[in-house]
Amino acid sequence: MAHNELILNNVTKRFGGLTAVDDLSFTVADGQIYGVIGPNGAGKTTVFNCITGIYKSEEGSVQWRGEEIRGMTPYQIVDRGIVRTFQTIRLFGQMSVAENIMSGRHIKSSQSWWHGIVPTLGSRRDEKENWLKVQEQLEFFDLGEFAATPTNSLPYGLQRRVEIARAMAVEPTLLILDEPAAGLNDKETLGLVETIYKIREKGVTVLLIEHDMDMVMEITDYLTVINFGKKIAEGTPVEVQANPAVIEAYLGSEDDDDE
Amino acid sequence: MKNFERYAFPIFFVVMAILPTLLDPRWQAVAITFLIFAVVALSQDIILGKAGMFNMGQALFFGMGAYITAILNSHYGWPILATIPLAVLLPALFGIVLAAPIVHLRGDYLLVVTIGFNIVFVQVLQNNLGGVTGGPNGIFGLDPLSFFGTQLTSQLAVYYFAFIVLLLTLWVMNNLEKSKAGRALHYLREDHLAAESIGINTRVYKIFAFGLGAGIAGLAGTVFATQYAAVSPEAFEFIVSVLFFSIVLVGGSSIPGVLLGVFVMFVLPEIFREFATWRYFVFGFAMILAMILRPRGIWPATFGKIPKFLIKETRHGA
Ligand SMILES: Nc1ncnc2c1ncn2[C@@H]1O[C@H](COP(=O)(O)OP(=O)(O)OP(=O)(O)O)[C@@H](O)[C@H]1O
Ligand SMILES: [Mg+2]
Repeated sequence: MAHNELILNNVTKRFGGLTAVDDLSFTVADGQIYGVIGPNGAGKTTVFNCITGIYKSEEGSVQWRGEEIRGMTPYQIVDRGIVRTFQTIRLFGQMSVAENIMSGRHIKSSQSWWHGIVPTLGSRRDEKENWLKVQEQLEFFDLGEFAATPTNSLPYGLQRRVEIARAMAVEPTLLILDEPAAGLNDKETLGLVETIYKIREKGVTVLLIEHDMDMVMEITDYLTVINFGKKIAEGTPVEVQANPAVIEAYLGSEDDDDE
Repeated sequence: MKNFERYAFPIFFVVMAILPTLLDPRWQAVAITFLIFAVVALSQDIILGKAGMFNMGQALFFGMGAYITAILNSHYGWPILATIPLAVLLPALFGIVLAAPIVHLRGDYLLVVTIGFNIVFVQVLQNNLGGVTGGPNGIFGLDPLSFFGTQLTSQLAVYYFAFIVLLLTLWVMNNLEKSKAGRALHYLREDHLAAESIGINTRVYKIFAFGLGAGIAGLAGTVFATQYAAVSPEAFEFIVSVLFFSIVLVGGSSIPGVLLGVFVMFVLPEIFREFATWRYFVFGFAMILAMILRPRGIWPATFGKIPKFLIKETRHGA
């Protein structure tokens, strides 16, 4: 079954005595913008780490297009079309925006390791083609003027955009964003929302964590709410907002986020 | 700066090409030493500078190449140039086999393991393993270079041999910068997790860096054996690895930085003979100062070039 569907079944991830993700199941359907929300420390990032191969869950299964991906390495999972960004931005800080985006072309490039020693006509052509793809991303994300700028000298909002551009350079089927609006001002957040819609239009499924409730309620098609690693609710934004368990979890937690 | 980059290489090339004709034999020998050690330092730069792996055993691969040439020439009568393929491939293969189980280690552990390998290597040479390494005295009386039966006994021939090897190394490094593999090394050095998460099999590229660095060092070993017509264990001690390690760090993992480091470390002591005993002292202080004042090296690396068509002239552009 080659349907672009991500299915988590009874995923459990423990850190010593702490159960960060507890028997969690949900399904992301093809073409959705799917949200995962929950209070601080609820286990959202840990779920994403279990999907993207950074952690291996102790129990449960993670299926992508009908294939079990639990236990695969991050690069194997990227190879299957799932790419992510990080809550704390992880760019190659001393390298330029263009080089950062070029890293996303790594698995698409047809070069072998030995082309790094002796280039061929084919590898030069491949090199050129991939830089052209980088140019496409630079234009799509309106980053052209920063192409040669090292990313660690860019403002936060732009760094977030570069990170998404880098992920999109892989041409993923499923894009996973961990708090993409964190640290952005209102104008930048609006720009991000637009970008996410444009990404979906390209046929990419989007799975995201977000604390900005206005944004989540606006853009997601479907939501899962977790607290203490457990799912406490799921549904459309309207359904979730009306759910007493969700209201309780958010009001009950003292570290309520600023929206 | 831009002009510097454009003209530096042609000027360097011309100067180095005519230099030996202006020098007396003693200074020719110094210049050859510079070329050989520059190649080894650049090979270390691939492993330490580009891929960020704390390899403290580069003298091992250098020595391996030198000994392979010496053994094949003195015991089996191979012409020096005919030993090159094995002097490159065997160290490269050895680098790969050695790196495979250790590249996942954290920097400090990797450092200790590679020091260990270097020490074992020198012990093996000194104990005349298999009766071919010649023990503490090493192997001497190697043949001079010969090319299709013509003997090239002059030191000038060795100089140009070393020069060609350096040019070849610079060419490979230039190719690396403009390739998927070369960039992968930069990415994994900058952020290992981000590199994996964008689809890079970091393990493979780390091993690749070790193999390539070891192969180039092995080739430098052939030139070394040719220059001295001899090899002996103390030239490949662990302390020599420390020098290569420091040159890359202090120089800053750029080609000018590494060449500068080699010059200060191996050529200055020859120019100022009285400086020779002081070099570790001076270099030690230089290392301390450089790391405090310029933590990224005296001449820091600039990353892989991006194509011109991507660079837009705006006030934001770099
Ligand atoms: N590598 C780890 N080792 C030990 N505990 C961890 C690790 N990673 C996360 N945790 C713990 O697991 C729990 C869930 O963390 P996680 O980062 O997934 O939360 P989150 O929902 O993403 O929170 P936030 O909204 O603050 O990002 C927390 O209690 C955290 O301290
Ligand atoms: Mg988180």
